[in-house]
Amino acid sequence: MVPSPTTDSNARRERRRERRSRMRLKNVSLAVLSIVAFVLWVHLGSGVTVFRSDVPAEPGWERFRADYKLAYFGDDGQFVRAVQNGYNLVFHTYKYAPRFTRKVAGDQVSACSSCHTAEDLAYAFVNSDRYDRKVGRRVSFEERVQRCYAGPMDGFVPTIYDPAVRDIRLLARAVARHLQLSEGALRGGR
Amino acid sequence: MQPRTRTLVKIGVLVLAAGGFYLLAAHKHAQREEVRQTAVSVTPACVEKLSRYALERGEYYRSPYVVQRTGTVSTRRGYGDEDIRAIQRGCNIMDDTQGRQATDVSRERWNATRFIRGNHAACSHCHQGIGDKQDAKGNRLKGSLSIGASWVMADMYDRFTGLLLPFELRQMQCYINSSNGYKPNIADDVIRDVTAYSRFLSAALDLKIGNHYDEQGIDEIAASDTLKQGDDYVRGEALYKHKCMSCHGRQAFGLEANGRLVAPALAGPNAWNMQSRNYFYYVSTILPGFICRNMPLGQENTLTNQECRDIAYYISNLPRPAGDRQGPIVALKQQFLMTVMPPLLRLTSPDDAEKPAHGTRERVQ
Repeated sequence: MVPSPTTDSNARRERRRERRSRMRLKNVSLAVLSIVAFVLWVHLGSGVTVFRSDVPAEPGWERFRADYKLAYFGDDGQFVRAVQNGYNLVFHTYKYAPRFTRKVAGDQVSACSSCHTAEDLAYAFVNSDRYDRKVGRRVSFEERVQRCYAGPMDGFVPTIYDPAVRDIRLLARAVARHLQLSEGALRGGR
Repeated sequence: MQPRTRTLVKIGVLVLAAGGFYLLAAHKHAQREEVRQTAVSVTPACVEKLSRYALERGEYYRSPYVVQRTGTVSTRRGYGDEDIRAIQRGCNIMDDTQGRQATDVSRERWNATRFIRGNHAACSHCHQGIGDKQDAKGNRLKGSLSIGASWVMADMYDRFTGLLLPFELRQMQCYINSSNGYKPNIADDVIRDVTAYSRFLSAALDLKIGNHYDEQGIDEIAASDTLKQGDDYVRGEALYKHKCMSCHGRQAFGLEANGRLVAPALAGPNAWNMQSRNYFYYVSTILPGFICRNMPLGQENTLTNQECRDIAYYISNLPRPAGDRQGPIVALKQQFLMTVMPPLLRLTSPDDAEKPAHGTRERVQ
Protein backbone atom coordinates (compact mmCIF):
# COMPACT_ATOMS: atom_id res chain seq x y z
CA MET A 1 0.00 0.00 0.00
CA VAL A 2 1.36 3.39 -0.95
CA PRO A 3 1.47 5.87 1.99
CA SER A 4 -0.70 8.89 1.44
CA PRO A 5 1.09 12.26 1.16
CA THR A 6 -0.49 13.40 4.46
CA THR A 7 0.88 10.44 6.42
CA ASP A 8 4.27 10.97 4.88
CA SER A 9 4.35 14.63 5.81
CA ASN A 10 3.19 13.83 9.35
CA ALA A 11 5.99 11.33 9.79
CA ARG A 12 8.52 13.84 8.53
CA ARG A 13 7.22 16.48 10.91
CA GLU A 14 7.43 14.01 13.75
CA ARG A 15 11.04 13.16 12.88
CA ARG A 16 11.93 16.85 12.69
CA ARG A 17 10.36 17.47 16.10
CA GLU A 18 12.32 14.60 17.59
CA ARG A 19 15.54 15.86 16.06
CA ARG A 20 14.86 19.37 17.36
CA SER A 21 14.15 18.08 20.84
CA ARG A 22 17.37 16.04 20.77
CA MET A 23 19.27 19.12 19.59
CA ARG A 24 17.73 21.25 22.37
CA LEU A 25 18.76 18.69 24.97
CA LYS A 26 22.25 18.62 23.50
CA ASN A 27 22.48 22.43 23.50
CA VAL A 28 21.24 22.77 27.06
CA SER A 29 23.61 20.07 28.28
CA LEU A 30 26.46 21.76 26.46
CA ALA A 31 25.62 25.13 28.00
CA VAL A 32 25.38 23.68 31.51
CA LEU A 33 28.61 21.77 31.02
CA SER A 34 30.38 24.90 29.78
CA ILE A 35 29.23 26.86 32.81
CA VAL A 36 30.28 24.12 35.21
CA ALA A 37 33.62 23.79 33.43
CA PHE A 38 34.14 27.57 33.60
CA VAL A 39 33.32 27.71 37.30
CA LEU A 40 35.62 24.77 38.03
CA TRP A 41 38.39 26.33 35.98
CA VAL A 42 37.98 29.68 37.72
CA HIS A 43 38.08 28.13 41.18
CA LEU A 44 40.68 25.46 40.65
CA GLY A 45 42.70 26.16 37.54
CA SER A 46 42.82 29.88 36.82
CA GLY A 47 44.77 31.07 39.85
CA VAL A 48 42.52 34.14 40.01
CA THR A 49 42.39 34.79 43.74
CA VAL A 50 39.42 37.09 43.59
CA PHE A 51 37.05 34.13 43.29
CA ARG A 52 38.39 32.40 46.40
CA SER A 53 36.97 32.84 49.85
CA ASP A 54 40.16 31.61 51.50
CA VAL A 55 43.43 33.53 51.39
CA PRO A 56 46.51 31.79 50.02
CA ALA A 57 49.16 31.22 52.69
CA GLU A 58 52.40 32.82 51.54
CA PRO A 59 55.76 31.80 53.01
CA GLY A 60 56.23 33.39 56.41
CA TRP A 61 52.53 33.69 57.18
CA GLU A 62 52.43 30.89 59.75
CA ARG A 63 55.44 32.37 61.53
CA PHE A 64 53.85 35.83 61.48
CA ARG A 65 50.58 34.41 62.74
CA ALA A 66 52.34 32.67 65.63
CA ASP A 67 54.57 35.68 66.45
CA TYR A 68 51.67 38.08 66.73
CA LYS A 69 49.27 35.53 68.25
CA LEU A 70 46.65 36.23 65.63
CA ALA A 71 44.69 33.07 66.33
CA TYR A 72 43.70 34.53 69.70
CA PHE A 73 42.66 37.89 68.34
CA GLY A 74 39.11 38.56 67.26
CA ASP A 75 36.33 36.13 67.92
CA ASP A 76 36.04 34.81 64.40
CA GLY A 77 38.11 33.71 61.46
CA GLN A 78 37.05 36.64 59.32
CA PHE A 79 39.39 39.06 61.06
CA VAL A 80 42.32 36.69 60.78
CA ARG A 81 41.60 36.15 57.07
CA ALA A 82 41.57 39.90 56.51
CA VAL A 83 44.86 40.24 58.40
CA GLN A 84 46.28 37.42 56.28
CA ASN A 85 45.27 39.29 53.18
CA GLY A 86 46.93 42.35 54.73
CA TYR A 87 50.07 40.26 55.25
CA ASN A 88 50.04 39.21 51.59
CA LEU A 89 49.50 42.81 50.51
CA VAL A 90 52.35 44.12 52.64
CA PHE A 91 54.90 41.40 51.96
CA HIS A 92 53.97 40.49 48.37
CA THR A 93 52.44 43.72 47.12
CA TYR A 94 53.32 43.20 43.46
CA LYS A 95 51.48 39.88 43.51
CA TYR A 96 48.37 40.83 45.50
CA ALA A 97 47.81 44.44 44.45
CA PRO A 98 48.75 44.35 40.77
CA ARG A 99 46.01 46.87 40.02
CA PHE A 100 47.68 49.44 42.24
CA THR A 101 51.37 49.03 41.54
CA ARG A 102 53.58 48.77 38.47
CA LYS A 103 56.31 47.01 40.47
CA VAL A 104 57.25 43.45 39.61
CA ALA A 105 59.02 40.66 41.46
CA GLY A 106 62.54 41.61 40.38
CA ASP A 107 62.36 45.28 41.42
CA GLN A 108 64.38 46.51 44.35
CA VAL A 109 61.24 47.96 45.90
CA SER A 110 58.42 45.57 45.07
CA ALA A 111 56.43 45.44 48.32
CA CYS A 112 55.49 47.60 51.29
CA SER A 113 57.87 45.44 53.33
CA SER A 114 60.80 46.73 51.26
CA CYS A 115 60.55 49.92 53.35
CA HIS A 116 58.34 49.11 56.38
CA THR A 117 58.17 46.35 58.97
CA ALA A 118 54.81 45.27 60.34
CA GLU A 119 55.63 47.10 63.56
CA ASP A 120 56.31 50.32 61.64
CA LEU A 121 52.78 50.02 60.32
CA ALA A 122 51.38 49.50 63.82
CA TYR A 123 53.09 52.65 65.11
CA ALA A 124 51.98 54.54 62.00
CA PHE A 125 48.44 53.41 62.67
CA VAL A 126 48.30 54.69 66.26
CA ASN A 127 49.93 57.94 65.15
CA SER A 128 47.70 58.51 62.14
CA ASP A 129 45.00 61.14 61.67
CA ARG A 130 47.47 63.85 62.62
CA TYR A 131 48.58 67.04 60.95
CA ASP A 132 51.26 66.49 58.34
CA ARG A 133 53.45 69.50 57.66
CA LYS A 134 54.45 68.28 54.19
CA VAL A 135 50.89 67.69 53.04
CA GLY A 136 49.54 70.72 54.89
CA ARG A 137 46.59 68.95 56.51
CA ARG A 138 45.61 66.03 58.69
CA VAL A 139 46.35 62.69 57.04
CA SER A 140 44.62 59.42 57.88
CA PHE A 141 46.25 55.99 57.82
CA GLU A 142 44.22 55.12 54.72
CA GLU A 143 45.51 58.17 52.89
CA ARG A 144 49.10 57.24 53.83
CA VAL A 145 48.56 53.81 52.25
CA GLN A 146 47.02 55.40 49.17
CA ARG A 147 50.02 57.71 48.91
CA CYS A 148 52.36 54.72 49.11
CA TYR A 149 50.60 53.01 46.22
CA ALA A 150 50.75 56.17 44.12
CA GLY A 151 54.33 57.14 45.05
CA PRO A 152 56.96 54.57 46.04
CA MET A 153 54.92 51.72 44.56
CA ASP A 154 54.67 53.62 41.29
CA GLY A 155 51.04 52.76 40.75
CA PHE A 156 47.49 53.92 41.21
CA VAL A 157 45.28 55.02 44.10
CA PRO A 158 42.76 52.50 45.45
CA THR A 159 39.57 53.88 46.98
CA ILE A 160 39.41 54.28 50.72
CA TYR A 161 37.04 51.26 50.91
CA ASP A 162 39.26 48.93 48.94
CA PRO A 163 40.48 45.74 50.67
CA ALA A 164 43.95 46.72 49.46
CA VAL A 165 43.72 49.59 51.96
CA ARG A 166 41.40 48.17 54.60
CA ASP A 167 43.31 44.95 55.16
CA ILE A 168 46.58 46.80 55.70
CA ARG A 169 44.84 48.85 58.39
CA LEU A 170 43.61 45.61 59.96
CA LEU A 171 47.10 44.15 59.88
CA ALA A 172 48.43 47.29 61.57
CA ARG A 173 45.67 47.08 64.17
CA ALA A 174 46.41 43.42 64.87
CA VAL A 175 50.11 44.12 65.39
CA ALA A 176 49.31 47.19 67.53
CA ARG A 177 47.12 44.98 69.65
CA HIS A 178 49.89 42.47 70.12
CA LEU A 179 52.31 45.25 71.11
CA GLN A 180 49.61 46.71 73.39
CA LEU A 181 50.00 50.15 71.88
CA SER A 182 47.68 52.97 72.73
CA GLU A 183 46.85 56.11 70.79
CA GLY A 184 49.92 58.23 70.00
CA ALA A 185 52.41 55.59 71.26
CA LEU A 186 56.02 56.60 70.60
CA ARG A 187 58.58 54.23 69.20
CA GLY A 188 60.97 53.05 71.90
CA GLY A 189 58.49 54.07 74.60
CA ARG A 190 58.94 56.93 77.03
CA MET B 1 17.69 79.89 14.59
CA GLN B 2 20.22 78.10 12.42
CA PRO B 3 20.91 74.47 13.40
CA ARG B 4 24.57 75.27 13.92
CA THR B 5 23.77 78.22 16.18
CA ARG B 6 21.36 76.03 18.14
CA THR B 7 24.09 73.43 18.66
CA LEU B 8 26.54 76.10 19.76
CA VAL B 9 24.02 77.51 22.23
CA LYS B 10 23.40 74.02 23.62
CA ILE B 11 27.12 73.42 24.06
CA GLY B 12 27.52 76.84 25.64
CA VAL B 13 24.76 76.14 28.16
CA LEU B 14 26.30 72.78 29.05
CA VAL B 15 29.76 74.30 29.49
CA LEU B 16 28.33 77.09 31.62
CA ALA B 17 26.40 74.63 33.80
CA ALA B 18 29.46 72.40 34.27
CA GLY B 19 31.63 75.44 35.01
CA GLY B 20 29.02 76.70 37.48
CA PHE B 21 29.04 73.38 39.33
CA TYR B 22 32.83 73.37 39.38
CA LEU B 23 32.98 76.89 40.80
CA LEU B 24 30.35 76.03 43.40
CA ALA B 25 32.29 72.91 44.45
CA ALA B 26 35.55 74.90 44.60
CA HIS B 27 33.83 77.55 46.71
CA LYS B 28 32.44 74.96 49.14
CA HIS B 29 35.84 73.29 49.31
CA ALA B 30 37.51 76.59 50.16
CA GLN B 31 34.81 77.31 52.72
CA ARG B 32 35.45 73.97 54.43
CA GLU B 33 39.18 74.64 54.49
CA GLU B 34 38.53 78.04 56.02
CA VAL B 35 36.35 76.46 58.75
CA ARG B 36 39.13 73.96 59.49
CA GLN B 37 41.53 76.85 60.05
CA THR B 38 39.13 78.88 62.19
CA ALA B 39 39.30 78.83 65.99
CA VAL B 40 36.55 76.65 67.42
CA SER B 41 33.86 77.92 69.74
CA VAL B 42 33.76 75.01 72.19
CA THR B 43 30.62 74.13 74.16
CA PRO B 44 30.91 74.54 77.96
CA ALA B 45 30.73 70.78 78.54
CA CYS B 46 33.53 70.20 76.04
CA VAL B 47 35.65 72.95 77.59
CA GLU B 48 35.33 71.12 80.91
CA LYS B 49 36.04 67.69 79.37
CA LEU B 50 39.01 68.72 77.24
CA SER B 51 40.66 70.88 79.89
CA ARG B 52 40.29 68.06 82.41
CA TYR B 53 42.30 65.89 80.03
CA ALA B 54 44.78 68.73 79.42
CA LEU B 55 44.43 68.93 75.66
CA GLU B 56 47.09 71.47 74.73
CA ARG B 57 49.43 72.13 71.89
CA GLY B 58 52.77 70.40 72.40
CA GLU B 59 55.26 67.86 71.19
CA TYR B 60 54.14 65.34 73.82
CA TYR B 61 50.87 64.55 75.50
CA ARG B 62 50.67 63.37 79.11
CA SER B 63 47.23 62.55 80.41
CA PRO B 64 46.50 63.85 83.93
CA TYR B 65 43.79 61.19 84.23
CA VAL B 66 46.37 58.42 83.84
CA VAL B 67 48.67 60.07 86.40
CA GLN B 68 45.80 60.41 88.84
CA ARG B 69 44.57 56.83 88.37
CA THR B 70 47.82 54.92 88.11
CA GLY B 71 50.49 57.24 89.51
CA THR B 72 52.56 56.78 86.34
CA VAL B 73 53.22 59.19 83.51
CA SER B 74 52.58 57.93 80.01
CA THR B 75 54.05 60.08 77.31
CA ARG B 76 52.32 60.09 73.96
CA ARG B 77 52.68 62.02 70.78
CA GLY B 78 51.41 65.57 71.27
CA TYR B 79 48.89 67.52 69.26
CA GLY B 80 49.24 70.39 66.82
CA ASP B 81 46.76 73.25 66.39
CA GLU B 82 44.97 71.51 63.52
CA ASP B 83 44.61 68.31 65.55
CA ILE B 84 43.27 70.22 68.55
CA ARG B 85 40.70 72.03 66.43
CA ALA B 86 39.54 68.70 64.94
CA ILE B 87 39.18 67.20 68.44
CA GLN B 88 37.28 70.24 69.66
CA ARG B 89 34.92 70.12 66.70
CA GLY B 90 34.41 66.38 67.25
CA CYS B 91 33.56 67.00 70.90
CA ASN B 92 31.12 69.75 69.87
CA ILE B 93 29.40 67.40 67.44
CA MET B 94 29.06 64.73 70.11
CA ASP B 95 27.78 67.17 72.72
CA ASP B 96 25.57 69.36 70.56
CA THR B 97 24.85 67.51 67.33
CA GLN B 98 21.83 69.66 66.53
CA GLY B 99 23.88 72.85 66.94
CA ARG B 100 21.54 74.40 69.49
CA GLN B 101 24.51 76.14 71.07
CA ALA B 102 26.12 77.16 67.78
CA THR B 103 25.75 80.55 66.14
CA ASP B 104 26.17 79.09 62.64
CA VAL B 105 25.05 75.44 62.62
CA SER B 106 26.20 74.62 59.12
CA ARG B 107 29.76 75.87 59.69
CA GLU B 108 30.26 74.87 63.31
CA ARG B 109 28.76 71.37 63.12
CA TRP B 110 29.64 70.47 59.53
CA ASN B 111 25.94 70.40 58.64
CA ALA B 112 25.42 67.40 60.92
CA THR B 113 21.69 68.14 60.96
CA ARG B 114 21.61 67.34 57.23
CA PHE B 115 22.16 63.71 58.18
CA ILE B 116 19.47 63.58 60.87
CA ARG B 117 15.71 63.56 60.46
CA GLY B 118 13.90 65.34 63.28
CA ASN B 119 15.36 67.80 65.74
CA HIS B 120 16.03 65.72 68.85
CA ALA B 121 18.77 63.19 68.13
CA ALA B 122 22.27 63.92 69.41
CA CYS B 123 25.22 61.57 69.93
CA SER B 124 25.42 62.34 73.65
CA HIS B 125 21.90 61.04 74.28
CA CYS B 126 23.22 57.49 74.02
CA HIS B 127 26.95 58.20 74.44
CA GLN B 128 26.47 60.05 77.68
CA GLY B 129 29.16 62.19 79.28
CA ILE B 130 30.11 63.22 75.72
CA GLY B 131 31.10 59.64 75.00
CA ASP B 132 33.01 59.24 78.26
CA LYS B 133 30.63 58.73 81.15
CA GLN B 134 32.19 58.52 84.60
CA ASP B 135 30.98 58.59 88.18
CA ALA B 136 31.95 61.29 90.66
CA LYS B 137 35.18 59.45 91.49
CA GLY B 138 36.22 59.23 87.85
CA ASN B 139 35.43 55.53 87.43
CA ARG B 140 34.38 54.62 83.94
CA LEU B 141 30.99 52.92 83.93
CA LYS B 142 30.08 49.52 82.58
CA GLY B 143 27.93 49.53 79.44
CA SER B 144 28.14 53.30 79.03
CA LEU B 145 28.95 53.30 75.29
CA SER B 146 32.34 54.95 75.71
CA ILE B 147 33.55 56.04 72.30
CA GLY B 148 37.21 55.97 73.35
CA ALA B 149 36.82 52.29 74.20
CA SER B 150 34.90 51.78 70.94
CA TRP B 151 37.80 53.16 68.95
CA VAL B 152 40.28 50.64 70.32
CA MET B 153 37.84 47.80 69.51
CA ALA B 154 36.83 49.11 66.08
CA ASP B 155 37.35 47.17 62.82
CA MET B 156 36.18 43.99 64.49
CA TYR B 157 33.55 41.54 63.37
CA ASP B 158 30.08 42.93 63.88
CA ARG B 159 27.49 40.24 64.37
CA PHE B 160 24.59 42.43 63.25
CA THR B 161 25.99 43.40 59.88
CA GLY B 162 28.34 40.44 59.37
CA LEU B 163 31.13 42.87 58.48
CA LEU B 164 34.51 43.79 59.84
CA LEU B 165 32.98 47.10 60.74
CA PRO B 166 35.28 50.11 60.60
CA PHE B 167 34.71 52.96 63.08
CA GLU B 168 33.62 55.28 60.29
CA LEU B 169 30.96 52.89 59.01
CA ARG B 170 29.64 52.45 62.54
CA GLN B 171 29.18 56.22 62.77
CA MET B 172 27.32 56.15 59.48
CA GLN B 173 24.95 53.55 60.91
CA CYS B 174 24.27 55.87 63.85
CA TYR B 175 23.23 58.60 61.43
CA ILE B 176 21.11 56.27 59.31
CA ASN B 177 19.30 54.32 62.03
CA SER B 178 19.71 55.83 65.49
CA SER B 179 19.14 59.31 64.09
CA ASN B 180 16.76 58.03 61.42
CA GLY B 181 18.70 60.04 58.86
CA TYR B 182 21.13 59.85 55.99
CA LYS B 183 24.64 58.56 55.43
CA PRO B 184 27.53 61.04 55.44
CA ASN B 185 30.54 60.31 53.25
CA ILE B 186 33.20 58.18 54.93
CA ALA B 187 35.77 60.97 54.56
CA ASP B 188 33.40 63.78 55.62
CA ASP B 189 34.69 66.05 58.37
CA VAL B 190 31.60 65.24 60.40
CA ILE B 191 32.91 61.66 60.68
CA ARG B 192 36.62 62.41 60.83
CA ASP B 193 36.34 64.93 63.66
CA VAL B 194 34.35 62.55 65.82
CA THR B 195 37.00 59.91 65.12
CA ALA B 196 39.70 62.41 66.16
CA TYR B 197 37.85 63.11 69.41
CA SER B 198 37.34 59.37 70.06
CA ARG B 199 41.02 58.72 69.50
CA PHE B 200 41.94 61.55 71.83
CA LEU B 201 39.70 60.05 74.53
CA SER B 202 41.42 56.69 74.10
CA ALA B 203 44.79 58.46 74.57
CA ALA B 204 43.56 60.39 77.60
CA LEU B 205 42.27 57.20 79.23
CA ASP B 206 45.29 55.18 78.05
CA LEU B 207 43.21 52.47 76.39
CA LYS B 208 45.17 49.83 74.48
CA ILE B 209 44.33 48.85 70.93
CA GLY B 210 42.23 45.69 70.64
CA ASN B 211 41.41 45.38 74.35
CA HIS B 212 37.84 45.07 75.51
CA TYR B 213 36.88 47.43 78.32
CA ASP B 214 33.68 47.26 80.36
CA GLU B 215 32.60 50.74 79.35
CA GLN B 216 32.61 49.82 75.67
CA GLY B 217 29.21 49.29 74.09
CA ILE B 218 26.19 47.98 75.91
CA ASP B 219 25.97 45.61 78.83
CA GLU B 220 23.37 43.54 77.00
CA ILE B 221 20.48 41.99 78.90
CA ALA B 222 19.03 38.85 77.39
CA ALA B 223 15.80 37.19 78.46
CA SER B 224 17.92 34.58 80.21
CA ASP B 225 19.27 37.30 82.52
CA THR B 226 15.80 37.90 83.93
CA LEU B 227 13.31 35.98 86.05
CA LYS B 228 11.90 34.66 82.76
CA GLN B 229 8.50 36.20 83.26
CA GLY B 230 8.42 37.22 79.61
CA ASP B 231 8.57 40.75 78.25
CA ASP B 232 5.36 42.42 79.26
CA TYR B 233 3.68 45.42 77.65
CA VAL B 234 1.40 46.17 80.60
CA ARG B 235 4.18 46.01 83.17
CA GLY B 236 6.34 48.05 80.80
CA GLU B 237 3.70 50.74 80.45
CA ALA B 238 3.23 51.01 84.22
CA LEU B 239 6.99 51.25 84.74
CA TYR B 240 7.31 53.79 81.94
CA LYS B 241 4.66 56.01 83.57
CA HIS B 242 6.36 55.72 86.90
CA LYS B 243 10.01 56.05 85.88
CA CYS B 244 10.29 57.70 82.47
CA MET B 245 7.18 59.68 81.60
CA SER B 246 8.05 62.79 83.60
CA CYS B 247 11.01 63.49 81.28
CA HIS B 248 10.15 61.74 78.00
CA GLY B 249 6.44 62.60 77.90
CA ARG B 250 3.20 60.65 77.98
CA GLN B 251 3.67 59.15 74.56
CA ALA B 252 7.47 59.08 74.69
CA PHE B 253 7.67 61.69 71.94
CA GLY B 254 10.21 63.69 73.97
CA LEU B 255 9.76 67.00 75.73
CA GLU B 256 10.86 70.48 74.85
CA ALA B 257 10.44 73.40 77.19
CA ASN B 258 11.28 77.06 76.56
CA GLY B 259 12.81 76.10 73.21
CA ARG B 260 15.20 73.68 74.90
CA LEU B 261 15.18 69.94 74.74
CA VAL B 262 14.29 68.45 78.12
CA ALA B 263 14.52 64.81 77.02
CA PRO B 264 14.75 63.23 73.58
CA ALA B 265 12.00 61.25 71.87
CA LEU B 266 11.91 57.50 72.43
CA ALA B 267 9.12 57.08 69.86
CA GLY B 268 7.52 59.12 67.11
CA PRO B 269 9.13 61.02 64.24
CA ASN B 270 12.16 62.23 66.25
CA ALA B 271 13.17 58.82 67.56
CA TRP B 272 15.42 56.05 66.23
CA ASN B 273 13.95 53.92 63.49
CA MET B 274 12.93 50.28 63.21
CA GLN B 275 16.33 49.21 61.86
CA SER B 276 18.28 50.69 64.74
CA ARG B 277 19.87 48.27 67.19
CA ASN B 278 17.87 50.08 69.86
CA TYR B 279 14.68 48.64 68.38
CA PHE B 280 13.63 45.70 70.54
CA TYR B 281 12.29 43.61 67.66
CA TYR B 282 15.59 43.90 65.81
CA VAL B 283 17.93 43.28 68.76
CA SER B 284 16.18 42.55 72.01
CA THR B 285 19.18 42.84 74.34
CA ILE B 286 20.53 46.31 73.61
CA LEU B 287 17.81 48.73 74.68
CA PRO B 288 17.25 46.91 78.00
CA GLY B 289 21.01 47.04 78.60
CA PHE B 290 21.11 50.74 77.85
CA ILE B 291 18.17 51.44 80.16
CA CYS B 292 19.56 49.43 83.06
CA ARG B 293 23.03 51.00 82.98
CA ASN B 294 22.19 54.55 81.92
CA MET B 295 18.62 55.37 82.95
CA PRO B 296 16.96 57.16 84.69
CA LEU B 297 19.60 59.88 84.80
CA GLY B 298 21.10 60.05 88.26
CA GLN B 299 19.49 56.74 89.28
CA GLU B 300 21.41 54.37 87.02
CA ASN B 301 21.52 50.68 87.95
CA THR B 302 18.37 50.96 90.07
CA LEU B 303 16.07 49.02 87.72
CA THR B 304 16.06 45.23 87.62
CA ASN B 305 16.84 43.34 84.41
CA GLN B 306 13.20 42.32 84.05
CA GLU B 307 12.03 45.92 84.48
CA CYS B 308 14.46 47.13 81.83
CA ARG B 309 13.23 44.53 79.36
CA ASP B 310 9.61 45.40 80.08
CA ILE B 311 10.22 49.12 79.53
CA ALA B 312 12.18 48.43 76.34
CA TYR B 313 9.41 46.18 75.07
CA TYR B 314 6.79 48.83 75.79
CA ILE B 315 8.78 51.63 74.14
CA SER B 316 9.45 49.54 71.04
CA ASN B 317 5.74 48.93 70.59
CA LEU B 318 5.09 52.65 70.27
CA PRO B 319 5.02 54.02 66.70
CA ARG B 320 8.36 55.04 65.21
CA PRO B 321 9.78 55.63 61.73
CA ALA B 322 10.44 52.69 59.44
CA GLY B 323 14.03 51.87 58.51
CA ASP B 324 15.35 52.87 55.12
CA ARG B 325 15.34 49.30 53.81
CA GLN B 326 11.83 48.41 54.87
CA GLY B 327 10.05 49.79 51.85
CA PRO B 328 7.29 52.28 51.28
CA ILE B 329 4.40 50.23 52.67
CA VAL B 330 5.95 49.88 56.13
CA ALA B 331 7.07 53.52 56.00
CA LEU B 332 3.54 54.62 55.16
CA LYS B 333 2.07 52.49 57.92
CA GLN B 334 4.47 53.93 60.48
CA GLN B 335 3.79 57.49 59.32
CA PHE B 336 0.08 56.80 59.65
CA LEU B 337 0.53 55.42 63.17
CA MET B 338 2.71 58.33 64.22
CA THR B 339 0.18 60.84 62.90
CA VAL B 340 -3.08 59.22 63.94
CA MET B 341 -2.24 57.52 67.21
CA PRO B 342 -1.19 60.49 69.35
CA PRO B 343 -4.45 62.49 69.04
CA LEU B 344 -6.49 59.29 69.48
CA LEU B 345 -4.58 58.41 72.63
CA ARG B 346 -5.01 61.92 73.96
CA LEU B 347 -8.72 61.59 73.29
CA THR B 348 -9.07 58.24 75.01
CA SER B 349 -6.98 59.01 78.07
CA PRO B 350 -7.13 62.77 78.71
CA ASP B 351 -6.16 62.29 82.35
CA ASP B 352 -2.67 61.28 81.34
CA ALA B 353 -2.07 64.41 79.29
CA GLU B 354 1.55 65.39 78.98
CA LYS B 355 2.81 67.75 81.61
CA PRO B 356 5.71 69.78 80.21
CA ALA B 357 8.31 70.26 82.83
CA HIS B 358 9.05 73.96 82.44
CA GLY B 359 12.24 74.75 84.22
CA THR B 360 12.01 71.78 86.52
CA ARG B 361 14.16 69.28 84.65
CA GLU B 362 17.83 69.12 84.03
CA ARG B 363 18.85 69.87 80.50
CA VAL B 364 19.85 66.75 78.61
CA GLN B 365 21.36 68.37 75.58
